[in-house]
Amino acid sequence: MSLHYTLSVVQEHRLTADLQKVKVSNGEKSLPRLNKSAALWADMARWFGDDVRSILLNLKEVALYEVEELRLRVGQPLMLRTVDKDLFINHQGEATSAYKAYLIKSEDLTAALERMTHSSLYAVEENLKQGFITLPGGNRVGLTGEAVLQDGQLQTLKHISSLNLRIARDIQGQSLKILPLLLNSTGQLYHTLLISPPRAGKTTLLRDLIRSISNGVPKLKLEGQTVGVVDERGELAGMWQGIPTYDLGLRTDVLDGCPKASGMSMMVRSMSPQVLAVDELGHAEDVIAITDALRTGVRILSTAHAGTLEEARSRPVITHLLDQGVFERLVVLSRRHGPGTLEGVYDLKTGGSL
Amino acid sequence: MLILGCMVLIAGCGCLGLWFAYRIRRRPQELRECSMALALLDTEIVWGATPLPEAFGILKERTDEPWQGFFGELKERLGQGESAGIAWKETMIAQNSHFCLKPEDWNVIGDVGKGLGRSDRTEQHKQIELVQRQLMVMKEQAETWSGKQAKMWSYLGFLGGIAGVLILI
Repeated sequence: MSLHYTLSVVQEHRLTADLQKVKVSNGEKSLPRLNKSAALWADMARWFGDDVRSILLNLKEVALYEVEELRLRVGQPLMLRTVDKDLFINHQGEATSAYKAYLIKSEDLTAALERMTHSSLYAVEENLKQGFITLPGGNRVGLTGEAVLQDGQLQTLKHISSLNLRIARDIQGQSLKILPLLLNSTGQLYHTLLISPPRAGKTTLLRDLIRSISNGVPKLKLEGQTVGVVDERGELAGMWQGIPTYDLGLRTDVLDGCPKASGMSMMVRSMSPQVLAVDELGHAEDVIAITDALRTGVRILSTAHAGTLEEARSRPVITHLLDQGVFERLVVLSRRHGPGTLEGVYDLKTGGSL
Repeated sequence: MLILGCMVLIAGCGCLGLWFAYRIRRRPQELRECSMALALLDTEIVWGATPLPEAFGILKERTDEPWQGFFGELKERLGQGESAGIAWKETMIAQNSHFCLKPEDWNVIGDVGKGLGRSDRTEQHKQIELVQRQLMVMKEQAETWSGKQAKMWSYLGFLGGIAGVLILI
Protein backbone atom coordinates (compact mmCIF):
# COMPACT_ATOMS: atom_id res chain seq x y z
CA MET A 1 0.00 0.00 0.00
CA SER A 2 1.44 3.29 -1.00
CA LEU A 3 1.59 5.94 1.73
CA HIS A 4 1.67 9.53 0.80
CA TYR A 5 2.87 12.08 3.25
CA THR A 6 1.61 15.23 1.77
CA LEU A 7 1.94 18.66 3.15
CA SER A 8 -1.25 20.05 1.86
CA VAL A 9 -0.99 23.42 0.30
CA VAL A 10 -3.92 25.22 -1.18
CA GLN A 11 -4.64 22.97 -4.11
CA GLU A 12 -6.63 23.75 -7.16
CA HIS A 13 -9.67 21.52 -7.17
CA ARG A 14 -9.22 18.84 -9.78
CA LEU A 15 -12.93 18.47 -10.23
CA THR A 16 -13.50 22.17 -10.83
CA ALA A 17 -10.78 22.09 -13.46
CA ASP A 18 -12.45 19.13 -15.14
CA LEU A 19 -15.77 20.87 -14.96
CA GLN A 20 -14.46 23.87 -16.76
CA LYS A 21 -13.06 21.66 -19.49
CA VAL A 22 -16.39 19.95 -20.00
CA LYS A 23 -18.15 23.27 -20.00
CA VAL A 24 -15.92 24.66 -22.68
CA SER A 25 -16.16 21.55 -24.82
CA ASN A 26 -19.93 21.52 -24.56
CA GLY A 27 -20.10 25.13 -25.56
CA GLU A 28 -23.65 25.27 -24.20
CA LYS A 29 -25.21 28.50 -23.22
CA SER A 30 -27.99 27.06 -21.09
CA LEU A 31 -28.49 27.80 -17.42
CA PRO A 32 -25.20 27.56 -15.56
CA ARG A 33 -26.75 25.37 -12.88
CA LEU A 34 -28.02 22.77 -15.37
CA ASN A 35 -24.75 22.92 -17.20
CA LYS A 36 -22.88 22.32 -13.99
CA SER A 37 -25.05 19.36 -13.14
CA ALA A 38 -24.52 17.85 -16.61
CA ALA A 39 -20.78 18.29 -16.19
CA LEU A 40 -20.92 16.66 -12.78
CA TRP A 41 -22.86 13.75 -14.23
CA ALA A 42 -20.32 13.41 -17.03
CA ASP A 43 -17.60 13.26 -14.38
CA MET A 44 -19.52 10.56 -12.52
CA ALA A 45 -20.55 8.60 -15.64
CA ARG A 46 -16.97 7.89 -16.67
CA TRP A 47 -16.76 5.24 -13.97
CA PHE A 48 -19.33 3.04 -15.68
CA GLY A 49 -19.47 0.77 -18.74
CA ASP A 50 -21.06 1.91 -22.00
CA ASP A 51 -24.72 1.13 -21.20
CA VAL A 52 -24.91 2.73 -17.78
CA ARG A 53 -22.72 5.60 -18.90
CA SER A 54 -25.02 6.57 -21.74
CA ILE A 55 -28.01 6.42 -19.38
CA LEU A 56 -26.31 8.68 -16.87
CA LEU A 57 -25.28 11.13 -19.58
CA ASN A 58 -28.88 11.30 -20.80
CA LEU A 59 -30.35 11.76 -17.33
CA LYS A 60 -33.18 14.23 -17.33
CA GLU A 61 -34.66 16.13 -14.42
CA VAL A 62 -32.23 14.72 -11.88
CA ALA A 63 -29.50 17.06 -10.68
CA LEU A 64 -26.42 15.47 -9.21
CA TYR A 65 -26.48 17.63 -6.10
CA GLU A 66 -29.80 16.01 -5.15
CA VAL A 67 -28.44 12.49 -5.48
CA GLU A 68 -26.75 10.81 -2.53
CA GLU A 69 -26.19 7.33 -3.86
CA LEU A 70 -26.09 5.42 -7.12
CA ARG A 71 -26.95 1.76 -6.74
CA LEU A 72 -26.29 -1.09 -9.14
CA ARG A 73 -27.51 -4.57 -8.23
CA VAL A 74 -27.38 -7.52 -10.64
CA GLY A 75 -30.80 -8.23 -12.11
CA GLN A 76 -32.34 -5.22 -10.36
CA PRO A 77 -33.20 -1.79 -11.74
CA LEU A 78 -30.66 1.03 -11.83
CA MET A 79 -31.44 3.18 -8.83
CA LEU A 80 -30.57 6.70 -7.67
CA ARG A 81 -31.16 7.62 -4.05
CA THR A 82 -31.92 11.24 -3.34
CA VAL A 83 -32.49 12.90 0.01
CA ASP A 84 -36.08 11.73 0.31
CA LYS A 85 -36.84 9.16 -2.40
CA ASP A 86 -35.53 6.34 -4.59
CA LEU A 87 -35.59 6.87 -8.37
CA PHE A 88 -35.54 4.03 -10.88
CA ILE A 89 -34.05 5.01 -14.22
CA ASN A 90 -34.92 3.60 -17.65
CA HIS A 91 -32.89 3.29 -20.87
CA GLN A 92 -33.64 6.87 -21.89
CA GLY A 93 -32.43 8.30 -18.58
CA GLU A 94 -35.90 9.11 -17.26
CA ALA A 95 -37.21 8.32 -13.79
CA THR A 96 -39.83 5.61 -14.06
CA SER A 97 -41.41 2.72 -12.17
CA ALA A 98 -39.26 -0.19 -11.02
CA TYR A 99 -40.72 -2.51 -13.68
CA LYS A 100 -39.84 -0.33 -16.64
CA ALA A 101 -36.38 0.64 -15.45
CA TYR A 102 -33.07 -0.50 -16.90
CA LEU A 103 -32.04 -3.82 -15.37
CA ILE A 104 -28.42 -4.11 -14.38
CA LYS A 105 -26.44 -6.95 -15.95
CA SER A 106 -23.39 -8.50 -14.35
CA GLU A 107 -21.28 -7.11 -17.25
CA ASP A 108 -22.26 -3.60 -16.14
CA LEU A 109 -20.76 -4.28 -12.74
CA THR A 110 -17.61 -5.87 -14.18
CA ALA A 111 -17.10 -2.91 -16.51
CA ALA A 112 -17.71 -0.45 -13.68
CA LEU A 113 -15.25 -2.21 -11.40
CA GLU A 114 -12.65 -2.29 -14.15
CA ARG A 115 -13.00 1.43 -14.77
CA MET A 116 -13.10 2.35 -11.10
CA THR A 117 -9.90 0.46 -10.41
CA HIS A 118 -8.25 1.59 -13.69
CA SER A 119 -7.99 -2.09 -14.58
CA SER A 120 -5.74 -2.55 -11.54
CA LEU A 121 -7.55 -4.76 -9.08
CA TYR A 122 -4.31 -5.47 -7.22
CA ALA A 123 -3.99 -1.80 -6.31
CA VAL A 124 -7.20 -1.90 -4.26
CA GLU A 125 -6.58 -5.37 -2.82
CA GLU A 126 -6.58 -4.19 0.81
CA ASN A 127 -9.65 -2.01 0.41
CA LEU A 128 -11.55 -4.75 -1.36
CA LYS A 129 -11.08 -6.94 1.70
CA GLN A 130 -13.02 -4.33 3.64
CA GLY A 131 -15.69 -4.15 0.97
CA PHE A 132 -15.10 -0.72 -0.50
CA ILE A 133 -12.92 1.26 -2.85
CA THR A 134 -12.42 5.01 -2.94
CA LEU A 135 -12.49 6.89 -6.23
CA PRO A 136 -10.35 9.90 -6.97
CA GLY A 137 -12.38 12.74 -5.55
CA GLY A 138 -13.24 10.91 -2.34
CA ASN A 139 -16.42 9.24 -3.57
CA ARG A 140 -16.69 5.91 -1.86
CA VAL A 141 -17.94 2.77 -3.58
CA GLY A 142 -19.26 -0.07 -1.43
CA LEU A 143 -19.23 -3.55 -2.91
CA THR A 144 -20.72 -6.93 -2.14
CA GLY A 145 -20.21 -10.23 -3.89
CA GLU A 146 -18.91 -13.67 -3.14
CA ALA A 147 -16.29 -13.73 -0.42
CA VAL A 148 -13.14 -15.78 -1.00
CA LEU A 149 -11.67 -17.10 2.21
CA GLN A 150 -8.25 -18.48 3.01
CA ASP A 151 -7.65 -20.01 6.45
CA GLY A 152 -10.82 -18.34 7.63
CA GLN A 153 -9.54 -14.91 6.57
CA LEU A 154 -11.28 -12.89 3.90
CA GLN A 155 -9.00 -12.98 0.88
CA THR A 156 -11.01 -10.97 -1.62
CA LEU A 157 -14.44 -10.52 -3.17
CA LYS A 158 -15.37 -12.08 -6.48
CA HIS A 159 -18.50 -12.06 -8.65
CA ILE A 160 -19.41 -8.58 -7.50
CA SER A 161 -23.19 -8.42 -7.28
CA SER A 162 -23.94 -4.99 -5.82
CA LEU A 163 -22.29 -1.66 -5.99
CA ASN A 164 -23.14 1.53 -4.15
CA LEU A 165 -21.49 4.76 -5.20
CA ARG A 166 -21.82 7.37 -2.45
CA ILE A 167 -21.36 10.88 -3.65
CA ALA A 168 -19.07 12.83 -1.35
CA ARG A 169 -20.09 16.35 -0.38
CA ASP A 170 -17.96 19.28 0.53
CA ILE A 171 -20.13 21.76 2.38
CA GLN A 172 -18.18 24.65 3.80
CA GLY A 173 -19.05 26.80 6.78
CA GLN A 174 -21.20 24.19 8.52
CA SER A 175 -18.66 23.71 11.28
CA LEU A 176 -18.78 27.33 12.45
CA LYS A 177 -22.09 26.68 14.23
CA ILE A 178 -20.68 24.06 16.56
CA LEU A 179 -17.02 25.00 16.72
CA PRO A 180 -17.47 27.47 19.65
CA LEU A 181 -18.93 24.61 21.71
CA LEU A 182 -15.90 22.45 21.04
CA LEU A 183 -13.27 24.94 22.23
CA ASN A 184 -12.14 25.46 25.81
CA SER A 185 -11.34 28.83 27.36
CA THR A 186 -7.76 28.78 26.08
CA GLY A 187 -8.90 28.15 22.51
CA GLN A 188 -7.90 24.49 22.54
CA LEU A 189 -10.11 21.85 21.03
CA TYR A 190 -11.85 19.41 23.37
CA HIS A 191 -11.43 15.73 22.51
CA THR A 192 -14.48 15.38 20.30
CA LEU A 193 -16.49 12.47 18.91
CA LEU A 194 -19.05 12.97 16.13
CA ILE A 195 -21.71 10.28 15.90
CA SER A 196 -24.60 9.69 13.52
CA PRO A 197 -26.31 6.91 11.60
CA PRO A 198 -24.98 6.32 8.06
CA ARG A 199 -25.62 9.02 5.44
CA ALA A 200 -26.13 11.80 7.96
CA GLY A 201 -23.07 13.86 7.11
CA LYS A 202 -20.42 12.85 9.63
CA THR A 203 -17.56 12.83 7.17
CA THR A 204 -18.66 16.08 5.57
CA LEU A 205 -18.81 17.82 8.96
CA LEU A 206 -15.46 16.37 10.02
CA ARG A 207 -13.89 17.63 6.80
CA ASP A 208 -15.26 21.11 7.45
CA LEU A 209 -14.10 21.07 11.08
CA ILE A 210 -10.60 20.07 10.00
CA ARG A 211 -10.49 22.92 7.51
CA SER A 212 -11.71 25.50 10.04
CA ILE A 213 -9.30 24.38 12.76
CA SER A 214 -6.42 24.23 10.33
CA ASN A 215 -7.06 27.65 8.80
CA GLY A 216 -8.12 29.25 12.08
CA VAL A 217 -11.28 31.28 12.57
CA PRO A 218 -10.55 34.92 13.45
CA LYS A 219 -14.20 35.48 14.36
CA LEU A 220 -13.91 32.92 17.17
CA LYS A 221 -10.35 34.02 17.96
CA LEU A 222 -9.24 30.54 16.97
CA GLU A 223 -5.71 30.44 15.69
CA GLY A 224 -4.83 27.94 13.00
CA GLN A 225 -3.54 24.67 14.43
CA THR A 226 -1.53 21.86 12.87
CA VAL A 227 -3.91 19.06 12.03
CA GLY A 228 -2.82 15.50 11.27
CA VAL A 229 -5.37 13.49 9.32
CA VAL A 230 -5.12 9.70 9.17
CA ASP A 231 -7.34 9.05 6.19
CA GLU A 232 -7.66 5.26 6.26
CA ARG A 233 -10.48 5.13 3.73
CA GLY A 234 -9.28 7.99 1.59
CA GLU A 235 -12.61 9.79 2.00
CA LEU A 236 -11.57 12.86 3.95
CA ALA A 237 -8.96 14.31 1.63
CA GLY A 238 -9.94 12.40 -1.52
CA MET A 239 -6.23 11.96 -2.19
CA TRP A 240 -5.26 11.01 -5.73
CA GLN A 241 -1.61 10.35 -6.48
CA GLY A 242 -0.57 12.50 -3.55
CA ILE A 243 -2.82 15.46 -4.34
CA PRO A 244 -5.90 16.07 -2.16
CA THR A 245 -9.20 16.79 -3.91
CA TYR A 246 -10.67 18.58 -0.94
CA ASP A 247 -9.13 21.58 0.68
CA LEU A 248 -8.43 20.51 4.26
CA GLY A 249 -6.79 23.75 5.28
CA LEU A 250 -3.40 25.42 5.40
CA ARG A 251 -1.90 23.42 8.26
CA THR A 252 -3.10 19.92 7.48
CA ASP A 253 -0.96 16.85 6.86
CA VAL A 254 -2.65 13.83 5.39
CA LEU A 255 -1.55 10.23 5.77
CA ASP A 256 -3.53 8.49 3.06
CA GLY A 257 -4.70 4.88 3.06
CA CYS A 258 -2.94 3.96 6.30
CA PRO A 259 -4.70 1.90 9.00
CA LYS A 260 -5.73 4.23 11.82
CA ALA A 261 -3.94 2.31 14.56
CA SER A 262 -0.45 2.48 13.05
CA GLY A 263 -1.15 5.77 11.27
CA MET A 264 -1.93 7.69 14.44
CA SER A 265 1.32 6.86 16.19
CA MET A 266 3.21 7.48 12.96
CA MET A 267 1.58 10.87 12.60
CA VAL A 268 2.29 11.89 16.20
CA ARG A 269 5.94 10.84 15.91
CA SER A 270 6.64 12.39 12.56
CA MET A 271 4.46 15.46 12.07
CA SER A 272 3.80 16.64 15.68
CA PRO A 273 0.18 17.65 15.12
CA GLN A 274 -1.84 19.64 17.65
CA VAL A 275 -5.07 18.00 16.51
CA LEU A 276 -5.36 14.45 15.22
CA ALA A 277 -8.41 13.73 13.04
CA VAL A 278 -9.60 10.23 12.12
CA ASP A 279 -12.75 8.90 10.50
CA GLU A 280 -14.94 6.01 11.69
CA LEU A 281 -13.50 4.53 14.86
CA GLY A 282 -14.51 0.93 15.38
CA HIS A 283 -11.57 -1.42 15.74
CA ALA A 284 -10.12 -2.53 19.05
CA GLU A 285 -6.64 -1.43 17.92
CA ASP A 286 -7.94 2.12 17.44
CA VAL A 287 -8.57 2.38 21.19
CA ILE A 288 -4.96 1.56 22.05
CA ALA A 289 -3.70 4.01 19.44
CA ILE A 290 -5.95 6.79 20.73
CA THR A 291 -5.03 6.31 24.38
CA ASP A 292 -1.42 6.29 23.27
CA ALA A 293 -1.82 9.50 21.30
CA LEU A 294 -3.53 11.19 24.27
CA ARG A 295 -0.32 10.91 26.29
CA THR A 296 1.43 13.13 23.78
CA GLY A 297 -1.00 15.99 24.41
CA VAL A 298 -2.60 15.90 20.99
CA ARG A 299 -6.34 16.72 20.70
CA ILE A 300 -8.50 14.03 19.13
CA LEU A 301 -11.26 14.66 16.61
CA SER A 302 -13.08 11.59 15.41
CA THR A 303 -16.30 10.10 14.07
CA ALA A 304 -18.16 6.83 14.71
CA HIS A 305 -21.31 5.12 13.48
CA ALA A 306 -24.09 5.33 16.08
CA GLY A 307 -27.53 6.92 16.10
CA THR A 308 -27.57 8.10 19.70
CA LEU A 309 -25.36 8.17 22.79
CA GLU A 310 -27.12 4.99 24.01
CA GLU A 311 -26.33 3.23 20.74
CA ALA A 312 -22.74 4.39 20.96
CA ARG A 313 -22.53 2.96 24.46
CA SER A 314 -23.68 -0.42 23.15
CA ARG A 315 -20.64 -0.64 20.89
CA PRO A 316 -17.79 -2.17 22.92
CA VAL A 317 -15.00 -0.15 21.33
CA ILE A 318 -16.75 3.20 21.68
CA THR A 319 -18.07 2.51 25.17
CA HIS A 320 -14.54 1.63 26.27
CA LEU A 321 -13.33 5.02 25.08
CA LEU A 322 -16.30 6.79 26.66
CA ASP A 323 -15.82 4.99 29.99
CA GLN A 324 -12.18 5.94 30.07
CA GLY A 325 -13.28 9.55 29.70
CA VAL A 326 -11.25 10.03 26.56
CA PHE A 327 -13.81 12.22 24.85
CA GLU A 328 -15.03 15.48 26.33
CA ARG A 329 -17.54 16.53 23.67
CA LEU A 330 -20.07 14.48 21.74
CA VAL A 331 -21.78 15.80 18.60
CA VAL A 332 -24.87 13.92 17.41
CA LEU A 333 -26.09 14.27 13.84
CA SER A 334 -29.17 12.82 12.13
CA ARG A 335 -31.17 12.98 8.90
CA ARG A 336 -34.32 14.33 10.54
CA HIS A 337 -34.29 17.53 8.46
CA GLY A 338 -32.07 16.19 5.71
CA PRO A 339 -28.42 15.12 6.02
CA GLY A 340 -26.34 17.05 8.50
CA THR A 341 -29.14 17.87 10.97
CA LEU A 342 -27.51 18.77 14.27
CA GLU A 343 -29.26 16.86 17.08
CA GLY A 344 -27.13 18.16 19.87
CA VAL A 345 -23.71 18.76 21.36
CA TYR A 346 -23.08 17.16 24.75
CA ASP A 347 -20.51 17.70 27.45
CA LEU A 348 -19.45 14.18 28.34
CA LYS A 349 -17.87 15.22 31.67
CA THR A 350 -21.14 16.56 33.08
CA GLY A 351 -23.48 14.70 30.73
CA GLY A 352 -25.36 17.91 29.98
CA SER A 353 -26.44 19.24 26.62
CA LEU A 354 -24.80 22.43 25.38
CA MET B 1 28.03 5.32 -67.40
CA LEU B 2 28.03 1.57 -67.20
CA ILE B 3 30.45 1.60 -64.31
CA LEU B 4 28.31 4.15 -62.49
CA GLY B 5 25.21 1.95 -62.96
CA CYS B 6 27.07 -1.05 -61.65
CA MET B 7 28.19 0.87 -58.58
CA VAL B 8 24.67 2.09 -57.88
CA LEU B 9 23.34 -1.47 -58.15
CA ILE B 10 25.99 -2.85 -55.81
CA ALA B 11 25.53 0.00 -53.32
CA GLY B 12 21.72 -0.35 -53.43
CA CYS B 13 21.75 -4.09 -52.82
CA GLY B 14 24.44 -3.64 -50.17
CA CYS B 15 22.38 -1.07 -48.28
CA LEU B 16 19.34 -3.32 -48.42
CA GLY B 17 21.42 -6.13 -46.95
CA LEU B 18 22.77 -3.86 -44.21
CA TRP B 19 19.26 -2.69 -43.36
CA PHE B 20 18.08 -6.28 -43.00
CA ALA B 21 21.10 -7.02 -40.84
CA TYR B 22 20.34 -4.00 -38.65
CA ARG B 23 16.75 -5.15 -38.12
CA ILE B 24 17.91 -8.63 -37.21
CA ARG B 25 20.40 -7.24 -34.67
CA ARG B 26 17.75 -5.05 -33.10
CA ARG B 27 15.42 -7.94 -32.25
CA PRO B 28 17.37 -9.33 -29.26
CA GLN B 29 17.88 -5.76 -28.05
CA GLU B 30 14.17 -5.08 -28.12
CA LEU B 31 13.47 -8.34 -26.33
CA ARG B 32 15.98 -7.40 -23.65
CA GLU B 33 14.35 -4.01 -23.17
CA CYS B 34 10.93 -5.61 -22.97
CA SER B 35 12.15 -7.95 -20.28
CA MET B 36 13.62 -5.01 -18.38
CA ALA B 37 10.37 -3.05 -18.70
CA LEU B 38 8.42 -6.03 -17.38
CA ALA B 39 10.77 -6.23 -14.40
CA LEU B 40 9.98 -2.57 -13.67
CA LEU B 41 6.25 -3.20 -14.09
CA ASP B 42 6.54 -6.11 -11.70
CA THR B 43 8.24 -3.91 -9.10
CA GLU B 44 5.59 -1.22 -9.48
CA ILE B 45 2.80 -3.76 -9.04
CA VAL B 46 4.27 -5.82 -6.22
CA TRP B 47 6.00 -3.13 -4.15
CA GLY B 48 4.13 0.01 -5.07
CA ALA B 49 0.65 -1.39 -5.78
CA THR B 50 0.73 1.34 -8.43
CA PRO B 51 -2.37 1.44 -10.63
CA LEU B 52 -1.62 0.52 -14.25
CA PRO B 53 -1.99 3.96 -15.89
CA GLU B 54 0.52 5.43 -13.44
CA ALA B 55 2.80 2.39 -13.78
CA PHE B 56 2.79 2.67 -17.58
CA GLY B 57 3.61 6.36 -17.20
CA ILE B 58 6.68 5.40 -15.17
CA LEU B 59 7.67 2.75 -17.75
CA LYS B 60 7.34 5.34 -20.49
CA GLU B 61 9.83 7.57 -18.68
CA ARG B 62 12.30 4.78 -18.05
CA THR B 63 12.41 3.04 -21.44
CA ASP B 64 13.72 4.07 -24.87
CA GLU B 65 11.94 4.06 -28.20
CA PRO B 66 10.14 2.01 -29.46
CA TRP B 67 8.96 0.79 -26.05
CA GLN B 68 8.48 4.35 -24.91
CA GLY B 69 5.80 4.81 -27.56
CA PHE B 70 4.25 1.47 -26.69
CA PHE B 71 3.80 2.30 -23.01
CA GLY B 72 2.78 5.86 -23.81
CA GLU B 73 -0.09 4.58 -25.93
CA LEU B 74 -1.07 2.07 -23.26
CA LYS B 75 -1.23 4.79 -20.65
CA GLU B 76 -3.40 6.92 -22.90
CA ARG B 77 -5.77 4.06 -23.69
CA LEU B 78 -6.21 3.16 -20.02
CA GLY B 79 -6.81 6.81 -19.24
CA GLN B 80 -9.74 6.71 -21.65
CA GLY B 81 -11.23 3.85 -19.68
CA GLU B 82 -10.28 0.87 -21.84
CA SER B 83 -9.74 -2.36 -19.95
CA ALA B 84 -6.10 -3.40 -19.59
CA GLY B 85 -6.41 -6.64 -21.57
CA ILE B 86 -7.97 -4.99 -24.62
CA ALA B 87 -5.66 -1.98 -24.45
CA TRP B 88 -2.59 -4.25 -24.42
CA LYS B 89 -3.82 -6.20 -27.45
CA GLU B 90 -4.77 -3.11 -29.45
CA THR B 91 -1.51 -1.35 -28.63
CA MET B 92 0.42 -4.39 -29.85
CA ILE B 93 -1.36 -4.22 -33.19
CA ALA B 94 -1.02 -0.45 -33.50
CA GLN B 95 2.66 -0.30 -32.53
CA ASN B 96 3.78 -3.42 -34.40
CA SER B 97 5.37 -1.46 -37.26
CA HIS B 98 7.80 0.35 -34.93
CA PHE B 99 9.36 -2.91 -33.79
CA CYS B 100 11.67 -5.52 -35.31
CA LEU B 101 10.05 -8.34 -33.39
CA LYS B 102 8.72 -11.55 -34.93
CA PRO B 103 5.15 -12.85 -34.56
CA GLU B 104 6.31 -15.52 -32.09
CA ASP B 105 7.75 -12.75 -29.87
CA TRP B 106 4.44 -10.92 -29.97
CA ASN B 107 2.66 -14.12 -28.97
CA VAL B 108 4.70 -14.25 -25.76
CA ILE B 109 4.40 -10.51 -25.08
CA GLY B 110 0.66 -10.77 -25.70
CA ASP B 111 0.41 -13.17 -22.77
CA VAL B 112 1.11 -10.26 -20.41
CA GLY B 113 -2.18 -8.68 -21.42
CA LYS B 114 -4.20 -11.72 -20.48
CA GLY B 115 -5.22 -11.23 -16.88
CA LEU B 116 -3.26 -7.99 -16.44
CA GLY B 117 -4.68 -6.12 -13.47
CA ARG B 118 -7.35 -8.71 -12.82
CA SER B 119 -5.92 -10.44 -9.77
CA ASP B 120 -3.96 -9.74 -6.63
CA ARG B 121 -0.30 -8.81 -6.52
CA THR B 122 1.04 -12.35 -6.04
CA GLU B 123 -0.84 -13.60 -9.09
CA GLN B 124 0.28 -10.65 -11.18
CA HIS B 125 3.86 -11.31 -10.14
CA LYS B 126 3.57 -14.96 -11.16
CA GLN B 127 2.19 -14.12 -14.58
CA ILE B 128 4.78 -11.48 -15.36
CA GLU B 129 7.58 -13.72 -14.16
CA LEU B 130 6.42 -16.50 -16.45
CA VAL B 131 6.42 -14.23 -19.48
CA GLN B 132 9.83 -12.90 -18.51
CA ARG B 133 11.27 -16.37 -18.35
CA GLN B 134 9.95 -17.15 -21.82
CA LEU B 135 11.30 -13.85 -23.12
CA MET B 136 14.76 -14.64 -21.79
CA VAL B 137 14.76 -17.96 -23.63
CA MET B 138 13.65 -16.24 -26.84
CA LYS B 139 16.28 -13.55 -26.38
CA GLU B 140 19.07 -16.10 -26.04
CA GLN B 141 17.89 -17.95 -29.13
CA ALA B 142 17.58 -14.68 -31.02
CA GLU B 143 21.11 -13.63 -30.01
CA THR B 144 22.84 -16.71 -31.39
CA TRP B 145 20.65 -16.71 -34.46
CA SER B 146 20.89 -12.99 -35.14
CA GLY B 147 24.74 -12.91 -35.02
CA LYS B 148 24.97 -15.35 -37.90
CA GLN B 149 22.00 -14.02 -39.84
CA ALA B 150 23.06 -10.39 -39.61
CA LYS B 151 26.52 -11.20 -40.90
CA MET B 152 25.03 -13.23 -43.70
CA TRP B 153 22.66 -10.47 -44.78
CA SER B 154 25.30 -7.78 -44.76
CA TYR B 155 27.51 -9.90 -47.08
CA LEU B 156 24.62 -11.19 -49.10
CA GLY B 157 23.48 -7.69 -50.03
CA PHE B 158 26.80 -6.72 -51.59
CA LEU B 159 27.36 -10.15 -53.13
CA GLY B 160 23.86 -10.10 -54.60
CA GLY B 161 24.61 -6.69 -56.10
CA ILE B 162 27.84 -7.99 -57.64
CA ALA B 163 26.03 -11.07 -58.96
CA GLY B 164 23.41 -8.83 -60.53
CA VAL B 165 26.12 -6.76 -62.18
CA LEU B 166 27.82 -9.86 -63.56
CA ILE B 167 24.56 -11.19 -64.98
CA LEU B 168 23.71 -7.85 -66.57
CA ILE B 169 27.12 -7.46 -68.13
